[in-house]
Amino acid sequence: MGSLAQSVITAFSLIFSANREVSAAVWTSVSTAAWSTVIASLFGLPIGITIGLSDFPLKRLAIILLNSLMAMPTVVLGLLVFGLLSRQGMLGGFGLLFTPNAIIVGQSLLATPIIANYALSSVRAADARILPTALTLGASPMQSFAQLTNEIRFGVMAAVIAGFGRVISEVGVAMMLGGNIRWYTRTMTTAIALETSKGEFAFGLALGIVLMLISFSVNVGLNLMQEDHQP
Amino acid sequence: MRTPYYHLAGVEARYKDKTALLVDELTLPAGQVNVVTGLNGSGKSTLLNVLAFLIQPTHGLVKFSGKRVLWERAQLRELRRSVTLVHQCPFLFRGTVASNVSYGAKARGVEGDALQQRVEQSLELVGLSGFESRNANRLSGGEGRRVALARALACNPEVILLDEPLAYVDELSSGIIENLLVTLVQRGVLVVASSHDPTLGVRLNARTIRLQKGRLVPDCEPQRSYAIELPENSVHAIL
Repeated sequence: MGSLAQSVITAFSLIFSANREVSAAVWTSVSTAAWSTVIASLFGLPIGITIGLSDFPLKRLAIILLNSLMAMPTVVLGLLVFGLLSRQGMLGGFGLLFTPNAIIVGQSLLATPIIANYALSSVRAADARILPTALTLGASPMQSFAQLTNEIRFGVMAAVIAGFGRVISEVGVAMMLGGNIRWYTRTMTTAIALETSKGEFAFGLALGIVLMLISFSVNVGLNLMQEDHQP
Repeated sequence: MRTPYYHLAGVEARYKDKTALLVDELTLPAGQVNVVTGLNGSGKSTLLNVLAFLIQPTHGLVKFSGKRVLWERAQLRELRRSVTLVHQCPFLFRGTVASNVSYGAKARGVEGDALQQRVEQSLELVGLSGFESRNANRLSGGEGRRVALARALACNPEVILLDEPLAYVDELSSGIIENLLVTLVQRGVLVVASSHDPTLGVRLNARTIRLQKGRLVPDCEPQRSYAIELPENSVHAIL
Protein backbone atom coordinates (compact mmCIF):
# COMPACT_ATOMS: atom_id res chain seq x y z
CA MET A 1 0.00 0.00 0.00
CA GLY A 2 2.89 2.26 0.90
CA SER A 3 4.51 1.50 -2.42
CA LEU A 4 1.30 2.34 -4.27
CA ALA A 5 0.94 5.64 -2.39
CA GLN A 6 4.56 6.48 -3.19
CA SER A 7 3.92 5.69 -6.87
CA VAL A 8 0.89 7.96 -6.92
CA ILE A 9 2.90 10.82 -5.40
CA THR A 10 5.70 10.27 -7.91
CA ALA A 11 3.17 10.10 -10.74
CA PHE A 12 1.65 13.46 -9.78
CA SER A 13 5.07 15.03 -9.41
CA LEU A 14 5.92 13.81 -12.93
CA ILE A 15 2.71 15.39 -14.23
CA PHE A 16 3.05 18.71 -12.42
CA SER A 17 6.74 19.05 -13.25
CA ALA A 18 5.78 18.64 -16.93
CA ASN A 19 8.24 15.78 -17.34
CA ARG A 20 9.49 15.90 -20.93
CA GLU A 21 8.99 12.23 -21.61
CA VAL A 22 5.47 12.27 -20.20
CA SER A 23 4.67 15.41 -22.20
CA ALA A 24 6.04 13.88 -25.42
CA ALA A 25 3.93 10.75 -25.02
CA VAL A 26 0.84 12.81 -24.20
CA TRP A 27 1.39 15.04 -27.23
CA THR A 28 1.91 12.10 -29.59
CA SER A 29 -1.21 10.39 -28.26
CA VAL A 30 -3.43 13.45 -28.41
CA SER A 31 -2.25 14.64 -31.81
CA THR A 32 -2.50 11.24 -33.51
CA ALA A 33 -5.88 10.57 -31.87
CA ALA A 34 -7.20 14.00 -32.89
CA TRP A 35 -6.15 13.59 -36.51
CA SER A 36 -7.47 10.03 -36.62
CA THR A 37 -10.80 11.20 -35.20
CA VAL A 38 -11.09 14.00 -37.76
CA ILE A 39 -10.34 11.65 -40.66
CA ALA A 40 -12.60 8.90 -39.31
CA SER A 41 -15.40 11.44 -38.80
CA LEU A 42 -15.09 12.64 -42.39
CA PHE A 43 -15.74 9.09 -43.56
CA GLY A 44 -17.73 7.57 -40.70
CA LEU A 45 -20.41 10.24 -40.28
CA PRO A 46 -21.53 10.32 -43.93
CA ILE A 47 -21.39 6.51 -44.09
CA GLY A 48 -23.53 6.09 -40.95
CA ILE A 49 -26.03 8.80 -41.84
CA THR A 50 -26.36 7.60 -45.44
CA ILE A 51 -26.94 3.99 -44.39
CA GLY A 52 -29.47 5.20 -41.82
CA LEU A 53 -31.40 7.29 -44.31
CA SER A 54 -31.32 5.12 -47.39
CA ASP A 55 -33.00 1.90 -48.24
CA PHE A 56 -31.00 -0.52 -50.36
CA PRO A 57 -30.93 -4.30 -50.82
CA LEU A 58 -27.74 -4.97 -48.86
CA LYS A 59 -28.50 -2.58 -46.01
CA ARG A 60 -28.71 -5.29 -43.36
CA LEU A 61 -25.42 -6.78 -44.53
CA ALA A 62 -23.81 -3.33 -44.39
CA ILE A 63 -25.00 -2.86 -40.81
CA ILE A 64 -23.74 -6.32 -39.79
CA LEU A 65 -20.40 -5.51 -41.41
CA LEU A 66 -20.16 -2.21 -39.53
CA ASN A 67 -20.98 -3.93 -36.25
CA SER A 68 -18.37 -6.61 -36.91
CA LEU A 69 -15.71 -4.04 -37.76
CA MET A 70 -16.41 -2.30 -34.45
CA ALA A 71 -15.30 -5.41 -32.64
CA MET A 72 -12.17 -5.89 -34.71
CA PRO A 73 -9.13 -6.50 -32.46
CA THR A 74 -6.67 -3.64 -32.75
CA VAL A 75 -3.72 -5.96 -33.22
CA VAL A 76 -5.42 -7.63 -36.18
CA LEU A 77 -6.10 -4.26 -37.72
CA GLY A 78 -2.53 -3.25 -36.93
CA LEU A 79 -1.30 -6.40 -38.62
CA LEU A 80 -3.31 -5.76 -41.79
CA VAL A 81 -2.20 -2.14 -42.04
CA PHE A 82 1.38 -3.23 -41.25
CA GLY A 83 1.16 -5.51 -44.29
CA LEU A 84 0.02 -2.59 -46.43
CA LEU A 85 2.59 -0.09 -45.15
CA SER A 86 5.62 -2.37 -44.96
CA ARG A 87 8.17 -2.17 -47.77
CA GLN A 88 6.68 -5.13 -49.61
CA GLY A 89 3.15 -3.82 -49.10
CA MET A 90 0.94 -1.92 -51.54
CA LEU A 91 1.59 1.38 -49.78
CA GLY A 92 5.18 0.61 -48.78
CA GLY A 93 6.54 3.27 -51.14
CA PHE A 94 5.17 6.07 -48.94
CA GLY A 95 7.53 5.15 -46.11
CA LEU A 96 4.86 5.61 -43.47
CA LEU A 97 5.62 2.63 -41.26
CA PHE A 98 6.87 3.51 -37.76
CA THR A 99 5.84 7.15 -38.12
CA PRO A 100 2.99 9.03 -36.41
CA ASN A 101 1.24 9.05 -39.79
CA ALA A 102 1.12 5.26 -39.76
CA ILE A 103 -0.59 5.41 -36.38
CA ILE A 104 -3.08 7.93 -37.80
CA VAL A 105 -3.86 5.63 -40.74
CA GLY A 106 -4.46 2.64 -38.46
CA GLN A 107 -6.43 4.56 -35.87
CA SER A 108 -8.60 6.20 -38.55
CA LEU A 109 -9.52 2.75 -39.83
CA LEU A 110 -10.23 1.68 -36.26
CA ALA A 111 -12.50 4.65 -35.47
CA THR A 112 -14.42 4.85 -38.75
CA PRO A 113 -16.82 1.94 -38.10
CA ILE A 114 -17.35 3.13 -34.52
CA ILE A 115 -18.28 6.65 -35.61
CA ALA A 116 -20.40 5.28 -38.48
CA ASN A 117 -22.29 2.99 -36.11
CA TYR A 118 -23.01 5.75 -33.61
CA ALA A 119 -24.16 8.06 -36.41
CA LEU A 120 -26.36 5.29 -37.81
CA SER A 121 -27.95 4.78 -34.39
CA SER A 122 -28.59 8.52 -34.06
CA VAL A 123 -30.31 8.64 -37.44
CA ARG A 124 -32.44 5.62 -36.57
CA ALA A 125 -33.44 7.21 -33.28
CA ALA A 126 -34.16 10.59 -34.88
CA ASP A 127 -37.72 11.72 -35.35
CA ALA A 128 -39.02 10.48 -38.69
CA ARG A 129 -40.76 13.82 -39.26
CA ILE A 130 -37.56 15.88 -39.52
CA LEU A 131 -36.88 15.33 -43.23
CA PRO A 132 -40.50 15.58 -44.48
CA THR A 133 -40.97 18.73 -42.39
CA ALA A 134 -37.89 20.37 -43.84
CA LEU A 135 -38.80 19.29 -47.37
CA THR A 136 -42.35 20.56 -47.16
CA LEU A 137 -41.05 23.89 -45.90
CA GLY A 138 -39.15 24.23 -49.16
CA ALA A 139 -35.70 23.09 -48.06
CA SER A 140 -33.49 21.40 -50.64
CA PRO A 141 -32.39 17.81 -49.98
CA MET A 142 -29.02 19.18 -48.80
CA GLN A 143 -30.68 21.71 -46.47
CA SER A 144 -32.94 18.96 -45.13
CA PHE A 145 -29.89 16.77 -44.55
CA ALA A 146 -28.19 19.65 -42.73
CA GLN A 147 -31.29 20.14 -40.58
CA LEU A 148 -31.35 16.45 -39.71
CA THR A 149 -27.67 16.58 -38.76
CA ASN A 150 -28.38 19.63 -36.62
CA GLU A 151 -31.23 17.83 -34.87
CA ILE A 152 -29.03 14.82 -34.11
CA ARG A 153 -25.94 16.87 -33.33
CA PHE A 154 -25.52 15.41 -29.86
CA GLY A 155 -25.59 11.93 -31.33
CA VAL A 156 -23.00 13.08 -33.85
CA MET A 157 -20.85 14.55 -31.07
CA ALA A 158 -21.22 11.34 -29.09
CA ALA A 159 -20.07 9.43 -32.17
CA VAL A 160 -16.98 11.61 -32.56
CA ILE A 161 -16.16 11.38 -28.86
CA ALA A 162 -16.62 7.60 -28.87
CA GLY A 163 -14.18 7.44 -31.79
CA PHE A 164 -11.69 9.67 -29.98
CA GLY A 165 -12.05 7.63 -26.80
CA ARG A 166 -11.39 4.44 -28.71
CA VAL A 167 -8.25 5.60 -30.49
CA ILE A 168 -6.62 7.44 -27.61
CA SER A 169 -6.89 4.37 -25.41
CA GLU A 170 -5.81 1.69 -27.88
CA VAL A 171 -2.41 0.00 -27.80
CA GLY A 172 -2.27 -2.52 -30.65
CA VAL A 173 -2.28 -0.16 -33.63
CA ALA A 174 0.07 2.37 -32.01
CA MET A 175 2.50 -0.40 -31.03
CA MET A 176 2.51 -2.24 -34.36
CA LEU A 177 2.46 0.71 -36.72
CA GLY A 178 4.29 3.30 -34.63
CA GLY A 179 6.92 0.99 -33.20
CA ASN A 180 6.91 2.73 -29.79
CA ILE A 181 9.90 4.90 -30.73
CA ARG A 182 10.93 7.21 -27.89
CA TRP A 183 10.30 10.93 -28.55
CA TYR A 184 8.69 10.08 -31.86
CA THR A 185 5.91 7.51 -31.93
CA ARG A 186 5.63 6.60 -28.28
CA THR A 187 2.07 7.20 -27.16
CA MET A 188 0.65 7.15 -23.64
CA THR A 189 -0.66 3.62 -23.96
CA THR A 190 2.48 2.14 -25.50
CA ALA A 191 4.58 3.99 -22.93
CA ILE A 192 2.42 2.62 -20.09
CA ALA A 193 2.86 -0.93 -21.43
CA LEU A 194 6.63 -0.50 -21.82
CA GLU A 195 7.42 1.38 -18.61
CA THR A 196 5.30 -0.91 -16.45
CA SER A 197 7.05 -3.96 -17.90
CA LYS A 198 10.36 -2.27 -17.00
CA GLY A 199 9.16 -1.78 -13.44
CA GLU A 200 8.62 1.99 -13.83
CA PHE A 201 5.18 1.80 -12.28
CA ALA A 202 5.01 5.49 -11.28
CA PHE A 203 5.75 6.61 -14.85
CA GLY A 204 3.02 4.34 -16.21
CA LEU A 205 0.66 5.55 -13.52
CA ALA A 206 1.34 9.20 -14.39
CA LEU A 207 0.41 8.55 -18.00
CA GLY A 208 -2.60 6.54 -16.89
CA ILE A 209 -3.82 9.50 -14.81
CA VAL A 210 -3.37 11.89 -17.74
CA LEU A 211 -5.24 9.48 -20.00
CA MET A 212 -8.11 9.25 -17.54
CA LEU A 213 -8.20 13.05 -17.13
CA ILE A 214 -8.40 13.58 -20.89
CA SER A 215 -11.19 11.04 -21.21
CA PHE A 216 -13.04 12.54 -18.23
CA SER A 217 -12.67 16.12 -19.51
CA VAL A 218 -13.99 15.26 -22.95
CA ASN A 219 -17.03 13.54 -21.47
CA VAL A 220 -17.71 16.36 -19.01
CA GLY A 221 -17.55 18.80 -21.92
CA LEU A 222 -20.07 16.76 -23.90
CA ASN A 223 -22.34 16.46 -20.90
CA LEU A 224 -22.28 20.22 -20.26
CA MET A 225 -23.05 20.96 -23.91
CA GLN A 226 -26.02 18.59 -23.80
CA GLU A 227 -27.34 20.20 -20.62
CA ASP A 228 -27.04 23.67 -22.11
CA HIS A 229 -29.12 22.64 -25.09
CA GLN A 230 -31.72 20.47 -23.44
CA PRO A 231 -35.13 21.02 -25.08
CA MET B 1 -62.20 29.73 -65.11
CA ARG B 2 -59.15 29.67 -62.87
CA THR B 3 -56.58 26.99 -63.61
CA PRO B 4 -56.99 24.24 -61.01
CA TYR B 5 -54.08 23.95 -58.64
CA TYR B 6 -54.38 20.21 -58.59
CA HIS B 7 -55.74 17.68 -60.97
CA LEU B 8 -55.34 14.02 -60.11
CA ALA B 9 -56.28 11.25 -62.53
CA GLY B 10 -55.96 7.54 -61.91
CA VAL B 11 -53.64 8.14 -58.98
CA GLU B 12 -52.67 5.10 -56.97
CA ALA B 13 -50.32 5.10 -53.99
CA ARG B 14 -49.22 1.78 -52.55
CA TYR B 15 -47.34 0.79 -49.42
CA LYS B 16 -45.69 -2.51 -50.29
CA ASP B 17 -48.61 -4.66 -51.46
CA LYS B 18 -51.38 -2.51 -50.03
CA THR B 19 -53.17 0.21 -51.96
CA ALA B 20 -53.38 3.19 -49.64
CA LEU B 21 -54.97 5.58 -52.11
CA LEU B 22 -56.83 5.13 -55.40
CA VAL B 23 -58.27 8.30 -56.87
CA ASP B 24 -59.99 8.10 -60.26
CA GLU B 25 -60.31 11.86 -60.66
CA LEU B 26 -60.02 14.82 -58.32
CA THR B 27 -59.72 18.51 -59.02
CA LEU B 28 -58.83 21.00 -56.31
CA PRO B 29 -59.15 24.59 -57.50
CA ALA B 30 -57.65 27.65 -55.83
CA GLY B 31 -59.50 29.77 -53.30
CA GLN B 32 -61.32 26.86 -51.81
CA VAL B 33 -61.25 25.08 -48.50
CA ASN B 34 -61.40 21.33 -48.79
CA VAL B 35 -61.90 19.02 -45.87
CA VAL B 36 -60.84 15.40 -46.35
CA THR B 37 -62.68 13.08 -44.01
CA GLY B 38 -62.55 9.37 -43.42
CA LEU B 39 -61.73 6.72 -40.89
CA ASN B 40 -58.23 5.81 -39.78
CA GLY B 41 -56.37 4.24 -42.68
CA SER B 42 -58.75 5.65 -45.27
CA GLY B 43 -55.89 7.39 -47.09
CA LYS B 44 -56.26 10.97 -45.83
CA SER B 45 -52.61 11.41 -44.88
CA THR B 46 -51.44 9.64 -48.03
CA LEU B 47 -53.51 12.02 -50.15
CA LEU B 48 -52.02 15.02 -48.34
CA ASN B 49 -48.50 13.63 -48.80
CA VAL B 50 -49.13 13.17 -52.53
CA LEU B 51 -50.46 16.74 -52.73
CA ALA B 52 -47.37 17.93 -50.82
CA PHE B 53 -45.19 16.10 -53.38
CA LEU B 54 -43.67 14.00 -50.63
CA ILE B 55 -45.01 10.66 -51.86
CA GLN B 56 -44.80 9.73 -55.51
CA PRO B 57 -47.86 7.76 -56.61
CA THR B 58 -47.25 4.30 -58.02
CA HIS B 59 -49.48 5.12 -60.98
CA GLY B 60 -51.45 8.01 -62.34
CA LEU B 61 -51.21 11.63 -63.29
CA VAL B 62 -50.82 14.60 -60.97
CA LYS B 63 -51.02 18.11 -62.41
CA PHE B 64 -50.24 21.24 -60.47
CA SER B 65 -51.32 24.58 -61.91
CA GLY B 66 -51.75 22.94 -65.28
CA LYS B 67 -48.30 21.36 -65.36
CA ARG B 68 -47.70 17.66 -65.12
CA VAL B 69 -45.73 16.63 -62.05
CA LEU B 70 -42.74 14.61 -63.25
CA TRP B 71 -41.41 13.78 -59.77
CA GLU B 72 -37.94 14.93 -60.71
CA ARG B 73 -35.73 16.49 -58.07
CA ALA B 74 -35.47 19.99 -59.58
CA GLN B 75 -39.19 20.23 -60.29
CA LEU B 76 -40.12 18.84 -56.89
CA ARG B 77 -38.09 21.45 -55.09
CA GLU B 78 -39.83 24.20 -57.03
CA LEU B 79 -43.27 22.66 -56.44
CA ARG B 80 -42.66 22.17 -52.72
CA ARG B 81 -42.07 25.90 -52.45
CA SER B 82 -45.68 26.52 -53.49
CA VAL B 83 -47.12 24.03 -51.04
CA THR B 84 -46.73 23.57 -47.31
CA LEU B 85 -47.92 20.62 -45.29
CA VAL B 86 -48.56 20.93 -41.57
CA HIS B 87 -48.37 17.43 -40.16
CA GLN B 88 -50.83 15.96 -37.67
CA CYS B 89 -48.17 16.07 -34.96
CA PRO B 90 -45.97 18.82 -36.32
CA PHE B 91 -42.28 18.56 -35.65
CA LEU B 92 -40.70 21.67 -34.25
CA PHE B 93 -36.98 21.94 -34.73
CA ARG B 94 -34.68 22.50 -31.78
CA GLY B 95 -34.36 26.17 -31.01
CA THR B 96 -36.62 29.14 -30.58
CA VAL B 97 -40.07 29.76 -31.96
CA ALA B 98 -38.58 32.45 -34.23
CA SER B 99 -35.98 30.07 -35.69
CA ASN B 100 -38.76 27.58 -36.44
CA VAL B 101 -41.10 30.09 -38.01
CA SER B 102 -38.34 31.58 -40.15
CA TYR B 103 -37.08 28.20 -41.44
CA GLY B 104 -39.22 27.91 -44.59
CA ALA B 105 -38.98 31.58 -45.45
CA LYS B 106 -35.18 31.40 -45.12
CA ALA B 107 -35.13 28.38 -47.43
CA ARG B 108 -36.97 30.58 -49.93
CA GLY B 109 -34.26 33.23 -49.72
CA VAL B 110 -36.06 35.71 -47.47
CA GLU B 111 -33.66 37.39 -45.04
CA GLY B 112 -33.00 40.41 -42.87
CA ASP B 113 -35.84 42.74 -41.90
CA ALA B 114 -38.24 41.10 -44.33
CA LEU B 115 -37.70 37.79 -42.60
CA GLN B 116 -38.20 39.25 -39.15
CA GLN B 117 -41.35 40.98 -40.32
CA ARG B 118 -42.75 37.74 -41.70
CA VAL B 119 -42.02 35.94 -38.45
CA GLU B 120 -43.75 38.61 -36.40
CA GLN B 121 -46.76 38.79 -38.69
CA SER B 122 -47.17 35.02 -38.88
CA LEU B 123 -47.04 34.72 -35.11
CA GLU B 124 -49.55 37.52 -34.77
CA LEU B 125 -51.93 35.71 -37.10
CA VAL B 126 -51.91 32.61 -34.92
CA GLY B 127 -52.20 34.64 -31.73
CA LEU B 128 -48.65 34.04 -30.53
CA SER B 129 -47.12 37.51 -30.65
CA GLY B 130 -44.18 37.81 -28.31
CA PHE B 131 -43.35 34.09 -28.46
CA GLU B 132 -40.32 34.63 -30.71
CA SER B 133 -37.65 33.82 -28.14
CA ARG B 134 -39.50 30.95 -26.46
CA ASN B 135 -38.04 27.45 -26.66
CA ALA B 136 -40.09 25.67 -29.32
CA ASN B 137 -39.88 22.35 -27.54
CA ARG B 138 -41.40 23.70 -24.35
CA LEU B 139 -44.74 24.79 -25.76
CA SER B 140 -48.11 23.21 -25.12
CA GLY B 141 -49.62 21.02 -27.83
CA GLY B 142 -51.96 23.75 -29.04
CA GLU B 143 -49.21 26.38 -29.07
CA GLY B 144 -46.92 24.00 -30.94
CA ARG B 145 -49.62 23.43 -33.54
CA ARG B 146 -50.04 27.17 -33.96
CA VAL B 147 -46.28 27.69 -34.28
CA ALA B 148 -46.26 25.05 -37.03
CA LEU B 149 -49.08 26.91 -38.75
CA ALA B 150 -47.21 30.22 -38.39
CA ARG B 151 -44.16 28.51 -39.88
CA ALA B 152 -46.26 27.44 -42.85
CA LEU B 153 -47.77 30.93 -43.22
CA ALA B 154 -44.33 32.54 -43.18
CA CYS B 155 -43.55 30.57 -46.35
CA ASN B 156 -46.31 32.50 -48.10
CA PRO B 157 -47.56 29.35 -49.86
CA GLU B 158 -50.21 29.01 -52.56
CA VAL B 159 -51.46 25.83 -50.94
CA ILE B 160 -51.67 24.88 -47.28
CA LEU B 161 -52.25 21.26 -46.43
CA LEU B 162 -53.16 20.43 -42.86
CA ASP B 163 -53.28 16.94 -41.42
CA GLU B 164 -55.84 16.91 -38.60
CA PRO B 165 -55.25 20.56 -37.69
CA LEU B 166 -57.72 20.53 -34.81
CA ALA B 167 -56.78 17.25 -33.16
CA TYR B 168 -55.79 17.65 -29.52
CA VAL B 169 -56.03 21.44 -29.47
CA ASP B 170 -57.99 23.52 -27.00
CA GLU B 171 -61.01 25.62 -27.90
CA LEU B 172 -58.99 28.83 -28.21
CA SER B 173 -56.44 27.33 -30.62
CA SER B 174 -59.21 25.60 -32.51
CA GLY B 175 -61.11 28.86 -33.03
CA ILE B 176 -57.98 30.71 -34.13
CA ILE B 177 -57.04 28.00 -36.62
CA GLU B 178 -60.55 27.74 -38.08
CA ASN B 179 -60.86 31.49 -38.57
CA LEU B 180 -57.42 31.65 -40.11
CA LEU B 181 -58.23 28.92 -42.63
CA VAL B 182 -61.27 30.80 -43.86
CA THR B 183 -59.27 34.03 -44.12
CA LEU B 184 -56.54 32.29 -46.09
CA VAL B 185 -59.06 30.86 -48.51
CA GLN B 186 -60.52 34.29 -49.10
CA ARG B 187 -57.04 35.47 -50.02
CA GLY B 188 -56.92 32.84 -52.78
CA VAL B 189 -54.97 30.17 -50.92
CA LEU B 190 -56.03 26.58 -51.51
CA VAL B 191 -56.57 24.92 -48.15
CA VAL B 192 -56.86 21.16 -47.80
CA ALA B 193 -57.39 19.87 -44.28
CA SER B 194 -57.94 16.30 -43.20
CA SER B 195 -60.16 15.69 -40.23
CA HIS B 196 -61.95 12.99 -38.31
CA ASP B 197 -64.46 15.61 -37.26
CA PRO B 198 -67.43 15.39 -39.64
CA THR B 199 -68.68 18.79 -38.49
CA LEU B 200 -65.52 20.67 -39.53
CA GLY B 201 -66.59 20.85 -43.16
CA VAL B 202 -69.97 22.20 -42.10
CA ARG B 203 -68.41 24.77 -39.76
CA LEU B 204 -66.08 25.99 -42.50
CA ASN B 205 -68.79 25.67 -45.15
CA ALA B 206 -66.22 23.75 -47.12
CA ARG B 207 -66.10 21.15 -49.81
CA THR B 208 -65.93 17.76 -48.17
CA ILE B 209 -63.95 14.98 -49.76
CA ARG B 210 -64.74 11.63 -48.20
CA LEU B 211 -62.30 8.77 -48.42
CA GLN B 212 -63.10 5.18 -47.71
CA LYS B 213 -60.40 2.52 -47.94
CA GLY B 214 -58.33 4.88 -50.05
CA ARG B 215 -61.12 5.66 -52.54
CA LEU B 216 -63.20 8.79 -52.98
CA VAL B 217 -66.85 8.66 -51.99
CA PRO B 218 -68.46 10.89 -54.62
CA ASP B 219 -71.30 12.44 -52.68
CA CYS B 220 -70.15 15.94 -51.87
CA GLU B 221 -70.54 19.06 -53.92
CA PRO B 222 -68.23 22.01 -53.38
CA GLN B 223 -69.72 25.03 -51.67
CA ARG B 224 -68.19 28.45 -52.02
CA SER B 225 -69.90 30.71 -49.50
CA TYR B 226 -68.42 31.23 -46.09
CA ALA B 227 -70.69 31.71 -43.15
CA ILE B 228 -68.01 32.22 -40.54
CA GLU B 229 -67.40 35.74 -39.33
CA LEU B 230 -63.82 36.76 -40.02
CA PRO B 231 -61.49 37.82 -37.24
CA GLU B 232 -60.34 41.38 -36.83
CA ASN B 233 -56.80 40.68 -37.92
CA SER B 234 -56.25 39.87 -41.55
CA VAL B 235 -53.58 38.16 -43.53
CA HIS B 236 -53.16 41.07 -45.94
CA ALA B 237 -49.81 41.98 -44.55
CA ILE B 238 -48.29 38.60 -45.07
CA LEU B 239 -50.08 37.47 -48.19
